[in-house]
Amino acid sequence: MKEVNKFDIFCHSRLIELQIEIEERNRLRDGDGGEILVSTLEFRGITKSFPGVRALDNVSFKAKGGQVVALVGENGAGKSTLLKILNGDYQPDAGQYMIDGRECHSRTPHAAINAGVSVIYQERQVIPYLSVAENIFMEEIPVGPVRLINYNELNRRAQQIIDEFKLPIKATQRVKDLSVAYQQMVEIMKSYRRKPKVIAFDEPTASLSDAEIEILFGIIEDLKKKGIIILYVSHRMKEIFQITDEVVVLKDGKFVDQLKTSSTNENELIFKMVGRNLGDIFKGLDRNENIGETILEVKNLVANNVKNVSFSLRKGEILGFAGLVGAGRTETMRAIFGADKYTSGEIYVEGEKIEIKSPEDAIKNGIALCPEDRKDQGIIAKRGIRENISLAILESLSKRGFINFSKEREIAEKGVNDLNVKTPTIEKHIGELSGGNQQKVILARWLAANPKVLILDEPTKGIDVGSKSEIYQIICNLAKQGIGVIMISSELPEILGVCDRILVMCQGRITGELMREEATEKKVLTLAMADMLGGY
Amino acid sequence: MISSESTIYQGSRTAKDKVREFFRQIFTSDKLGLVIALLLIIIVFSILTGNKYFTGQNIINILISSSIVGLVAIGECYLVISGQIDLSPGSVAAFSGVLVSILLARGWHLLLALPSVVAFGCFIGLLNATLVNKLKLEPFIATLATMSIFRGLAYIICGGKAVFVTDKLFLKLGAGRILGIPIPVIVFIVMFAIFIVILSRTRFGRSVYMVGGNPVAARLAGINAAKVRTKIYMITSAFSALGGCIQAGRMSSGQPMSSEGLEFDAVTAVVLGGVAMTGGVGTLGGALLGLMILQGFNNGLMMMNVPSFWQTVSRGVLLIAALSFDFIRNRKRNK
Repeated sequence: MKEVNKFDIFCHSRLIELQIEIEERNRLRDGDGGEILVSTLEFRGITKSFPGVRALDNVSFKAKGGQVVALVGENGAGKSTLLKILNGDYQPDAGQYMIDGRECHSRTPHAAINAGVSVIYQERQVIPYLSVAENIFMEEIPVGPVRLINYNELNRRAQQIIDEFKLPIKATQRVKDLSVAYQQMVEIMKSYRRKPKVIAFDEPTASLSDAEIEILFGIIEDLKKKGIIILYVSHRMKEIFQITDEVVVLKDGKFVDQLKTSSTNENELIFKMVGRNLGDIFKGLDRNENIGETILEVKNLVANNVKNVSFSLRKGEILGFAGLVGAGRTETMRAIFGADKYTSGEIYVEGEKIEIKSPEDAIKNGIALCPEDRKDQGIIAKRGIRENISLAILESLSKRGFINFSKEREIAEKGVNDLNVKTPTIEKHIGELSGGNQQKVILARWLAANPKVLILDEPTKGIDVGSKSEIYQIICNLAKQGIGVIMISSELPEILGVCDRILVMCQGRITGELMREEATEKKVLTLAMADMLGGY
Repeated sequence: MISSESTIYQGSRTAKDKVREFFRQIFTSDKLGLVIALLLIIIVFSILTGNKYFTGQNIINILISSSIVGLVAIGECYLVISGQIDLSPGSVAAFSGVLVSILLARGWHLLLALPSVVAFGCFIGLLNATLVNKLKLEPFIATLATMSIFRGLAYIICGGKAVFVTDKLFLKLGAGRILGIPIPVIVFIVMFAIFIVILSRTRFGRSVYMVGGNPVAARLAGINAAKVRTKIYMITSAFSALGGCIQAGRMSSGQPMSSEGLEFDAVTAVVLGGVAMTGGVGTLGGALLGLMILQGFNNGLMMMNVPSFWQTVSRGVLLIAALSFDFIRNRKRNK
């Protein structure tokens, strides 16, 4: 009992403190007209090393309240490390950060929260089977006498916050019943309830649809108006120009520049990030000019979310599959690869009809698939690069069940060299590589299997600009070797820039076919939204 | 981001690099702590028992007490690496011990009875695997059920009473010696050697790691995860059955209450040996080290006349100590 009271009094007094602070701030704003007391976040000479690599090297910059500051850079530039230092996960080797001019020593995430820092990660950190209110008030659930949860009070206070955010959800709903976007909103509300001075977003839009992204941006806009400092980490250029006020560029752990978003452009940013101009990477690609005969033919394929899909793919061709998320592209490919069952339809490889019941069958028939979700479906994180590369060819690598290790090493080394995987040895755990290098290892896995058809599902998802252009060239090289490549991508520029032919899907059907020369973003989008525009 | 990716892998390695690599592997090896622990146990008990500990006879004693747990530990090691676990070995061993005793009492020849019982063990493994693969039961739940079923059946088929065996050949299986080495120890060492090679050098062994590391990715790379799991469950149950028969031979009777907790001893040894419960990581050599530490420690306590209840307590303490050591070392390395 005593403890409860103490705790309540503590919370209460903190609330009052905060209120006074806010009132003071408002008074200053109204009184002096223009002289606004804004909170500041300053990084001073942050340095952090890990064995073999200097993740951050003397990074200093400032951010002000009421502004969204983008943090950009390639994978490995140091963005995540900086966020982890901010929230107390890592301790810097040198330097510190200051909030409102006060030094903060956040030794744990808990201390960081108390200092007013909140980091919202790509992966949701909500508890699915608890209610929205319970999630928002996670560590400060209001309790009544005898320490039982006061649900009325809890739900009332949670609903207040929800209303403040103008969201159409109820405090009593279970979080697992919400869409991904609203789950993220719950997380934001949880942070907001702690009255933070800084909220950092790490790739917040990675798994959101366009409509959901708009909701998120509305909320970020609101948070900004409340004077909160917002750090925004994203690979998506479009978003950076849409919502941020300033951009901080990091490269190889070093601070490169801090610019006003309004006074820069995409090309300049990319140039600063990678140190070279990638403005027209697609024009520079060495493409395959020799497209051969048909290698894969799919007729009337029907599966879950796949409605009567027919198409063909030729040798050396790069065939793009465009469409919105949920259009049935991934499902089509999984059915062709045998990862999911298909109800009906026929698949021909080199003119021969084949039965595919499992990925094993597909691989035997020369079909390979790099799945969309690299972490959950592609890599075996705790094993080495060598074992990850040889995974699909173990059968041909072994004699009477025994693996030929020297041949295995040879193939792994060849894969690592051919695709320019950056690693000290082929025994390094694949989970410790950057996203781009992981993807190259997965590509090497399939190339070792000598496929006739290679299906790539979102091959550059979550990969930095530099590695992306490398992967585009690898894809073109594969086409030159006569492999038929199918590429699913939600990034239009990449579909338009890399593919010879584009099929657009919408709601499980193919709604159109565009040749490289005639394809434009508008045409693809029109076909991708065929259902919303009324028939096709 | 944490990784050092500055250099591109160079294919050639000089002899000097190889030597350096060898020492680096020893000092950064997960096994270093285990080897030190084993040495410590040998030294400390040798001093405490006045040099009676590290003698040929006592080493054989330790190996005898390890043999049956060891057989089951081979199976559990494969299972845990593949992300599974089996709780039924103790029951299967007891059931098999009783079954083989009954068959022998009915006049079956040992060379018919023993293979039949081991084959039936394989069938139990198939049952476990089917529950996991087809009914999608958690391995813990599925094998908890079969554990209960076969413990019960062990009592039922013998009416709750021990079945005595007089078959001389069979008794030899439990207590006989070849060149002074007890037969159970020979069986255990041979099996260990064979299964170390299978795990580290064959395609099947590699699949065990891959299925444990990421079953979805393994399936999408053409590995039949269900098939791999089925094989491992069958191996484990076959070893349990074999262990149960050896146990019956040692006790010259099939006892329905025997081998209680056998699976936990085996899993303790496996985990002690650095096999991660999350799957995908570990070696059978490590499990062997874990087993030797566990049994060596127990044997030492027994020689010191420490009551057996304290041995049970010490087993838990040992496990916690070993895992804490690993934890601290990993944390230091990651910092």
